Amino acid sequence: MLEQIYNAVFVGSIYALFALGFTLVFSVLDILNLAHPAIFTVGAFTALFVMQAGVPAPLALVIAAVVCGLLGVLLDRVAFAPLRRRGAPPLSAMISSIGVALILTRLIQLRYGPDLQAYPAGSVPSGVLDVGSLQLDGLRLVIIVVALALMVGLTFLVRRTPLGRQLRALAEDPRAARLLGVDVERAIAATFFISAGLGGVAGVLYGFATNSPYSQMGLPFELKAFTVMVVGGMGSIPGALVGAYLLSFGETASLAFLPSELRDAFAFGLLFIVLLVRPNGLLGQKSPDRV
Amino acid sequence: MTKRLIGIVSALAVLLAACGGSGTGGASNAPAASAAAASKPDIKVGVAISLTGVGNAYGPAQKNGVQLAADRINAAGGANGAKIQLIIEDDQSTTDGGITAFKKLVQQDRVAAILGPTLSGTAVAADPVAQSAQTPVIAISNTGDGIVGKCSYGPCDYVFRVSLGESAAIPETVKTVKAKLNLKTVVLMYAQDDKFSSDGFAIFKKALEGAGITIKKEIAYSKNDVDLSGPVTQAVAESPDAIVNSSLAGPAIKVLQEVAKRKPGLPVIGGNGFNTPALAASAGAAAEGAISGTAWFIDNPSTENKDFVAAYKAKYSADPDQFAAQAYAGLYVLLDALKRTPNPNSVLHDKLKAQIELTTGVKTPLGEVSFNKDHDVTQKVYVVQIKGGKFTPIN
Repeated sequence: MLEQIYNAVFVGSIYALFALGFTLVFSVLDILNLAHPAIFTVGAFTALFVMQAGVPAPLALVIAAVVCGLLGVLLDRVAFAPLRRRGAPPLSAMISSIGVALILTRLIQLRYGPDLQAYPAGSVPSGVLDVGSLQLDGLRLVIIVVALALMVGLTFLVRRTPLGRQLRALAEDPRAARLLGVDVERAIAATFFISAGLGGVAGVLYGFATNSPYSQMGLPFELKAFTVMVVGGMGSIPGALVGAYLLSFGETASLAFLPSELRDAFAFGLLFIVLLVRPNGLLGQKSPDRV
Repeated sequence: MTKRLIGIVSALAVLLAACGGSGTGGASNAPAASAAAASKPDIKVGVAISLTGVGNAYGPAQKNGVQLAADRINAAGGANGAKIQLIIEDDQSTTDGGITAFKKLVQQDRVAAILGPTLSGTAVAADPVAQSAQTPVIAISNTGDGIVGKCSYGPCDYVFRVSLGESAAIPETVKTVKAKLNLKTVVLMYAQDDKFSSDGFAIFKKALEGAGITIKKEIAYSKNDVDLSGPVTQAVAESPDAIVNSSLAGPAIKVLQEVAKRKPGLPVIGGNGFNTPALAASAGAAAEGAISGTAWFIDNPSTENKDFVAAYKAKYSADPDQFAAQAYAGLYVLLDALKRTPNPNSVLHDKLKAQIELTTGVKTPLGEVSFNKDHDVTQKVYVVQIKGGKFTPIN
C-alpha cells in the first residue's frame, strides 16, 4: 500500500514536471505549444549526446536545460512570433507547433533512428534508499524533489518577481502591458526559455529513470498533460500540480480496486466527474487572470 | 494527439524477384562483376517495405539486410551467373501504399518475385495483387494470421513466409521454461492497447494453461504508460514463480527495471519484444536472466549467423536486428529456388513457385529454413536467456 502511494507520487511528479512548461506558455500566451513533447525529447537526447562524449550526468542535465531553453526561444521566433505579428488566431500557432514537433522528432530519428537508446553504462546515477520496509529508488526520489522544487520556484517567480509581474500583465492584456512599459517580446522570450528549459529537464530526468530514450518518448505525455491542465484549470500552475497528482493517484487507486483493463476508464471517469462539478477545472478561473 | 500513435504491430518486407531483366545490376552491385555474370540478364527482385510511416521502425533494417544479401550474392556469382537486381519500393506502412508498390513491381518492373511488405495489415491487402499476377511473394516480417495457408481473399498459394510467428515461438518458450524453472504459478502482464502485445498475451495464456501452469493474475497496462511501477508492484505482491510479460521492448524494459528493484532474481519471461539489444543496453543488470523465444538471436554461434553479423557490422557499423536477419534470409531462400529454376526471367512464374515450395534446409542466419504445406516457415525456435548481457540459448 505504502509502496503504491510512493509510486503514485512519482508518476504524479513526472506528469507535473512535464505539464508545468506546457501550462506556463498557455497561461501567458494562450498557445497550446504542441512542440513541448518534442522539446522534452530533445532534452533527453541532448543529455545522451553530451554523456556519450563523457560529460557527467548532473552537468548534462544543466546543458540540456540551457539547450532546450534556447531552442524554446528559437521556436518562438520561428514558429510563433511571425503569426503573432499578423494577429493570427491561437489555432494557427498550435498547427505551427505541430510542424515544429514533427521536424524535431524527424531530426532526432535521422541521428539516432527510431529505436530505443541507452545512456552510457554506469553514467546514470543510481542508488537505493531503505526507509523502513520501503525500498526507494534514489533517482526517483531526486525526480520527485526536483519536480516539487521547480514547481515552488516557478510559482515564486510568477508571483513575487518583476519578471513574474510582467508575465501576469502580459497574460491579462498584451496591449495594456506594452503601454505600461513591459518589454513584451523579451517577456515572451523569457516565458519560452523557462517553459522549454523545464521541458528539457523533465526529458532528461525521465530519460534517466527509464534509461531508454527514443524519438517519440514525449508523445505519451501529451495526452496526460492535457488532462492535467484541463482538470487543474487551464493555465493555472498550482492547478497543474493538483491535476497531475489527482490523475496519478486515480490511476494507481484503480489498480487496487478494479480489473486492470478498466484503469484508464476509471481514472478518466473520475476526472470527468471533477469537470462536471467544476467546469473550469479545480483551480481554474473564468477571468484571464490566472498566472 | 493520441492519433499520433507510436503504434507498432508486426512487420513484413517484400522482395520481388525478376522477370525480364535488362539493367546492369542492383543499386550497390560492384561494377566489377564477373564476365559470366555480365553475359546473363539480371533477375529483378522487388522489395516492398515500410520506409515511411509507422513501419519505418523496421523498414530501414530490412532494406539493409536485403541489400547486404544482394551484394554478397552478386559478388559470389549471382544465381547461376545472373545477377540479382533489387527494386526497392516504399509501401508507406499503409494498405494503399502496399498495393501501389506491388502493382508497380508486378506490372511495370515485371519482377520475378517480391519480398515484403513490412506490416501484416499491408500484406493482406497487397499480396492479392501478386497472387492474381501469379508472382511469388516471400513475407519477411509478417507474423499475423491469414498471411499464408488460408487467406481471407481466396487462394494465396503464391505467398510464402520466412518470418516465424509468435504462435510458434511462445508455446516452445513455455515448454522450455516449465521444464527449466519448474514453473507452477505466474502473473501474466501485457500491453492491452497494442495488437502485437495483446495477441502475444492470448497465445501465452493458451500455452500456459495447456502446460498446466496457474495464472495467478492477469494485469493489463498501456503501451503509453510512462511508468509501470504500479502494475509491477501488484504483480510481485502475488508471489508468482515468474512474471510473464507480453509487450514491445519499451514497456518490457520498464517491467524488468521494476521487477529487479522489487524482487531481484524473479524470472521474467517474454515474447519477441525482448529480442533486441536495446533491452540489455537499457535495462542493464535488470535484464539479466530474462527469457524469451525467438526466430533469430544475434549471438547465435552458427557459421551463417556469425558471417552475417560480421558482414552487416562491417557494412553499416551497427548491429543487425531480427528484421534485417529475416530480410537477408528471405533473399537467400529465394536465391536457392532461383538457382533451381531453368528460366527465372520468364514472365510465367509457376516454375519458380514450384521450386520455392521445394525449399528444404536452406542454411541462413535463422538456422535451416524449410516451408511446410501451408508455405509457412519451419525452423528451430531459440529459447534464449540474457546472461552477461548476451542472449544465450537454453533449449
